[in-house]
Amino acid sequence: MKPVVEMQEVKKVYRSGSRRRQVEVRALDGVSLLITEGEFVSIMGPSGSGKSTLLHVMGLLDRPTSGRYLLAGEDVTTLEDEDAARMRNRRIGFVFQAFFLMPRYSALRNVELPLVYRGLTEAERRRRASRALAEVGLADRMDHLPSELSGGQKQRVAIARALVQEPALLLADEPTGNLDSESGREILALFERLHEAGKTLVVVTHEREIAERGRRILHMRDGRLVNDEVLG
Amino acid sequence: MRFSDNFKIALEALFAHPTRTLLSLLGVIIGVFAVTTLISLGEMATYGIQHSLEQLAGRSIYIQPQFKPGVEPVRFDADLLRVLRVLPVQPIPYVLSSATAADRRGRLVSLDLVGTVGNLPALDASVELARGRFFNRREAEQGLPVAVINAKAESTFFGEGRGLGRELILNVSDGARIRTVVVGVVRPAGGFFGGFESERVTVPYALLWERMPRKKGRFDIIELKVEPGADLKEVEKRTRRLLELRYGKDRVNVQSVQAFQQALTGITVGLQALLGGIGALSLLVGGIGIMNIMLVSVTERTREIGLRKALGATSAQVRAQFLMEAVLLTLSGGLIGVVLAAAVLYLVVLTVPFFEAFILSPLTVALALGVSAAVGLFFGVWPASQAASLDPIEALRYE
Repeated sequence: MKPVVEMQEVKKVYRSGSRRRQVEVRALDGVSLLITEGEFVSIMGPSGSGKSTLLHVMGLLDRPTSGRYLLAGEDVTTLEDEDAARMRNRRIGFVFQAFFLMPRYSALRNVELPLVYRGLTEAERRRRASRALAEVGLADRMDHLPSELSGGQKQRVAIARALVQEPALLLADEPTGNLDSESGREILALFERLHEAGKTLVVVTHEREIAERGRRILHMRDGRLVNDEVLG
Repeated sequence: MRFSDNFKIALEALFAHPTRTLLSLLGVIIGVFAVTTLISLGEMATYGIQHSLEQLAGRSIYIQPQFKPGVEPVRFDADLLRVLRVLPVQPIPYVLSSATAADRRGRLVSLDLVGTVGNLPALDASVELARGRFFNRREAEQGLPVAVINAKAESTFFGEGRGLGRELILNVSDGARIRTVVVGVVRPAGGFFGGFESERVTVPYALLWERMPRKKGRFDIIELKVEPGADLKEVEKRTRRLLELRYGKDRVNVQSVQAFQQALTGITVGLQALLGGIGALSLLVGGIGIMNIMLVSVTERTREIGLRKALGATSAQVRAQFLMEAVLLTLSGGLIGVVLAAAVLYLVVLTVPFFEAFILSPLTVALALGVSAAVGLFFGVWPASQAASLDPIEALRYE
């Protein structure tokens, strides 16, 4: 199995306050972790436990203060901002709690968005985006604006936007947090299908029920991994 | 990222708030409109004045005794006229004076009194008779009491079309009165100067010599019509040399329209620069308005920027997007400003007789558009850098 995420003693320390009275917050306090291709991993923990920071570091939105991080075999610990952006564009797919769709763009154009920054032609973007939308079951909603879609459909558009990048790693931050339970189940079912199709998924949640859809739960507390639970 | 995508995204952002876009553009529109209109009006005025000047006295050199305190001015006499014949010029001498005459209601009105040689229309194409005739050479030399008046003088002293054959009594200095008979009426001069004509009465030079002892035997100014084919500059040089030999250094003032035109061009270019500068100031104010609205836009779209970055937009790509927006904004403002200016200039040409030709040079248009794009680039840099430097995590959290 190929490793997708390899972290060794990753620390993230935020310093704030004045020079004399500096406050140190250890958001990540030595996290070591291996996630291999095709895994469906959930990260759980109370708020402030560092699970969001871990997700940000994993998704190259944030850089670790120390330690080492290899993404799909490539050392990305000290990437420059511009290189990190390019890596995000090609290796990482994000799914956010609040969807973050462009309100004036159709579903299709929303899904195309990451490909714009790759410099692909419009025709090529269209082709790939409509395929991704079909994959999440929205082939008949391509021209709809987000305001014309239900919450579950919006999140599926967001998932299609992540899939269109063909990422090594799909990261979801409380993906059902803004949805009713019916739509939430719809999204989780979609995640399971993606897992079966061989995608590598990491989902941050604070709900046990959602976490149990995955095959492995990482429990965090005070910036550390306190339990690595593998489900039967 | 493709240029066409960048362009499209920027255009969409501008059309997302059409009212705001238009309002924020006003400053640039007014600025470009002002610069374009003022520069073009300057060009049109220069053209108008030069055109009139050429019509009036295209290839002429004017010579006049130099006046200096304490020095007796030189005398331009009939002998000088003979000497001037060695040059390829047609000399037309003038005796200049002023006089008064009673208008139709008996009030005294002052007028320009000019004494000159006979048959002037044959020498000077700009003198055209409306009615009657010009006094001939013999009448001029003998000083017969005949007068040719301009249209303005006719309407003042007799009423339009009623001057021919009537008596005109001119009161000149020393209380002398000259009784003349009107034999001809000349057309008003065309162009710019035509509008400023005052009452003008032309009589034989010998009549003024005879009736005004102070003027006897001398001309005040001589116009030298340079013959076709002769080089104006060369003739002017030879004229200076000849007059220097005859009278000594710096005794005669030699002027041609060319020199006057050069001076005029200098003045109008200076004026244009001044007016353009005032216009540029409003463009500066417009640019600050653009910067303000772009900063608002960056703040409003913090989450969008965060999202784009999370999806893989580099800082450079985000910066390019906002710069493109700013430049597109000011460039469209510039375009509107130029179109407005063209419309107003066209109206001006239609309604104001002084402006004869519509001039909107490609250089002016290119300058206006170039400057507005530059304004966008300059005032877009800060907001665009603000957008580019946003931390995606913070930006996505922004409410």
